[in-house]
Amino acid sequence: MNKILLLEDLPEIRAWVKALVTQVFPQAQISESARVHDALALISAERFDVALVDLGLPDGSGVDVVAALRDTQPEAQSVVVTIHDDDDHLFPALQAGAFGYLLKEQPREHFVEQLRRISQGEPPLTPSIARRVIAYFAAQNKPQERPQNLPHVSLTDRENEVLLWVAKGFTLPEIGTQLNLSRHTIADYVKQIYRKLNVSSRAEAALEAQRLGLFRR
Amino acid sequence: MPCFAPPTTLAHRLRAAARRMAAPLAAAMMSALALTDLSAAAADDPGLVEIRTASAVASTAPVFPQDLKPRTVRLPDEWAETLPQADGPVWYRLEFTLPASHVTPSPLMAAYIERACSTAQVWLNGNLVFSGGHMTEPVTRSCFYPQLVVLPHALLNPQGNLLDIKVQGHALQHVASRQRAGGLSAVLVGPHTLLADLQARHTFWNVSLVQVISAMLVPVGIVMLGMGWQDRRSPWLIHFGLLAIGWAALSARLWWRDPPWDNATSEFLVCVGFGVLVALAIQFLVRYAALRSTKLEIGLLAQCVLVPASLALAGPERLYTATSGWYLLLSAEVMAAVTLYLRVTWRKGIDGRADFWPMAFMLMGVGVLVLVDLATQHGLVTLLPVHVLHFSMPLMFIAVGVRQIQVFGRALQVAEASRNSLESRINEVTAEIERNFSQMAELRVEQVTEKERKRIAADLHDDLGAKLLTIVHTSESERISTLAREALEEMRLSVRGLTGKPMQVADALADWRAETVSRLSQANIEADWRSPTEDVHQQLSARAFVQTTRILREAVSNIIKHSGASHCKVRCSIGEHDFVLVVQDNGKGIPMELDGKLDRGHGMASMKHRAKQMQGQCLVESGPGYGTVIRLTLPL
Repeated sequence: MNKILLLEDLPEIRAWVKALVTQVFPQAQISESARVHDALALISAERFDVALVDLGLPDGSGVDVVAALRDTQPEAQSVVVTIHDDDDHLFPALQAGAFGYLLKEQPREHFVEQLRRISQGEPPLTPSIARRVIAYFAAQNKPQERPQNLPHVSLTDRENEVLLWVAKGFTLPEIGTQLNLSRHTIADYVKQIYRKLNVSSRAEAALEAQRLGLFRR
Repeated sequence: MPCFAPPTTLAHRLRAAARRMAAPLAAAMMSALALTDLSAAAADDPGLVEIRTASAVASTAPVFPQDLKPRTVRLPDEWAETLPQADGPVWYRLEFTLPASHVTPSPLMAAYIERACSTAQVWLNGNLVFSGGHMTEPVTRSCFYPQLVVLPHALLNPQGNLLDIKVQGHALQHVASRQRAGGLSAVLVGPHTLLADLQARHTFWNVSLVQVISAMLVPVGIVMLGMGWQDRRSPWLIHFGLLAIGWAALSARLWWRDPPWDNATSEFLVCVGFGVLVALAIQFLVRYAALRSTKLEIGLLAQCVLVPASLALAGPERLYTATSGWYLLLSAEVMAAVTLYLRVTWRKGIDGRADFWPMAFMLMGVGVLVLVDLATQHGLVTLLPVHVLHFSMPLMFIAVGVRQIQVFGRALQVAEASRNSLESRINEVTAEIERNFSQMAELRVEQVTEKERKRIAADLHDDLGAKLLTIVHTSESERISTLAREALEEMRLSVRGLTGKPMQVADALADWRAETVSRLSQANIEADWRSPTEDVHQQLSARAFVQTTRILREAVSNIIKHSGASHCKVRCSIGEHDFVLVVQDNGKGIPMELDGKLDRGHGMASMKHRAKQMQGQCLVESGPGYGTVIRLTLPL
């Protein structure tokens, strides 16, 4: 981890996050920006390993930066850092390719712990996000609601099982115990769920764009 | 209309209509036959003498001209055949001997002249005994009036009586119709009572009845005009009304025997009148068949002008030829219109057929009458004693008029019914619109409220949230940081309470479970959470969710911060109208204060207050060394 993008409009918070990021990744070179526009410019100029992106910014939404990063630098890991904990704000970011999220007001040690977990491939998953994911894939699997030509992305039985447990309020360690699986395996399932959500959303978005394009023509 | 009627009703109606319409026709035919029989029967009476021969001489002389050589003619003498050029007057001398009387004293005698066209004067043995009216222009028009001449006893001889009849009439070419060409019928001589009876009957059929029926046509026509005026979508009613009134006006010639103008004018007016009537009849049929042609209208109008023009051009000497031509053409036009009407009506299908048969009966009757009349006009048929056309045509008009009134009445009923259904439909739609409107208004209010809540939420996050966040991360004091963090969480919950939608109790339980278990685990407290996961379908308002979250969060915070517990048990049960959350720890319990109440610093009061706000209750049981049990009951 040597190149990190930090997108945050509040200077104090940016400084705080930067300090914590340096704590997790001591070697990292951190590029800071306070606006979506600047962040997009940075993305087109440099390659990043990790991007910490705020959602509500003066000139737009961090979701656009997450999407741009996924499109141009798929290997980069986007993490949403936000004040919003509701799935109405988080789910679109996850669909756009974010690989996890951090709440800004968390105590320093929690934040560091979470960031470390995410960077090690253990993204968080709350019950409400899990429910949204379940609903999303349920709609995708109904042929009459799914547009044609959409590549069919479906979850495996195990991934589904994990999602259902999360949705019922069980923590990941609990699920590991329940299913007799290691913590890393559970984390892998969650990663797969995020990836599939992103792939499916992306195909859907592309198709939607194509459809709009056809209409415009 | 009838298309919805079951077939039996329809057939019944058709038969009824046919019967109704056929009746006048049949009556007309029967009466005509009956009258012919009647005359024949009368002639056979032994008390009557029928005179069928006469000496005739055309002369204007005031008495029977003895100097001119008369010719012997057979009666009836139709000038159209025997004297085509004669305009009269023509003197007829009839000789007769009274039949032997069976009764004494002899009854009053009379001569019955069925037809003396246009009018006549009668001398008995050189004495004037009867005058029908003006013998010079304008000549009295009595062609259709049978005349009864009283033969005074004093003037009668037992043998060899002379009856001189001076007939003033018109040559065929000077009249528009053969029925009005000059002529004299056979003459019956006999008892006055017998002949008066005969005359009365003949007058009734040929004159009175026609007058009565024609007079009836006027109100029918006025009613039609009124209906047409009311219902502008039925213009044929106007045409029919004018047709009826026009026919009645034309029929006035039957009883207006002494018009102030001469014969040529009368004949001219009648023919012109027929042109107009035919135009109206054709317009009626065409419009009634729901057709319309401007060309036809212009053509008919032009014809109405062309008829008088052509008659004027032909001159009074060729009046009959001209009018005959016109009558033929007009008849053909009417027939064509009838055919067109019947064709169109038939093609309308079952709906049209209800109208087809009655109209077909009547119109075919008209056709037969017109043909008979045409045949009479052209001398193919001898003059009938009764002018069937004169009274059957108005009857036909009345029948059609009645039919129109019936249709109009039914249309009124239908209109009334559809107006009623329309009204109820309007009421329904109005109610629906009002309902939708109020729903939309509610929705609008909801949308506006929702938008406003979102705006407030965004503002709170952007302003208050950012400031609190800055305090969280910049404050030197841990206490202030914690307070700011809690304030931020509170704010977030408040916003959720403001903007959130109702959620499933099962989802709320999952959220609480995840938070509670992970917080307790992070504090190394063993968590044991049991709650029903299946078959929970109740909903929880956002506010209830937020308040419960706060209470639970507070309880868990207390356990983590103060209890020193190693184990925490959470039980949740859901009833029909409420749910119960029990949080139990094995910690050291809450210390009692001096006043006996539980420590307020542990937030018990605010937990209780929140529960109370939601019409629920929060019970705390605790004793030193026994742990704490918090029992939260909230309505659903």
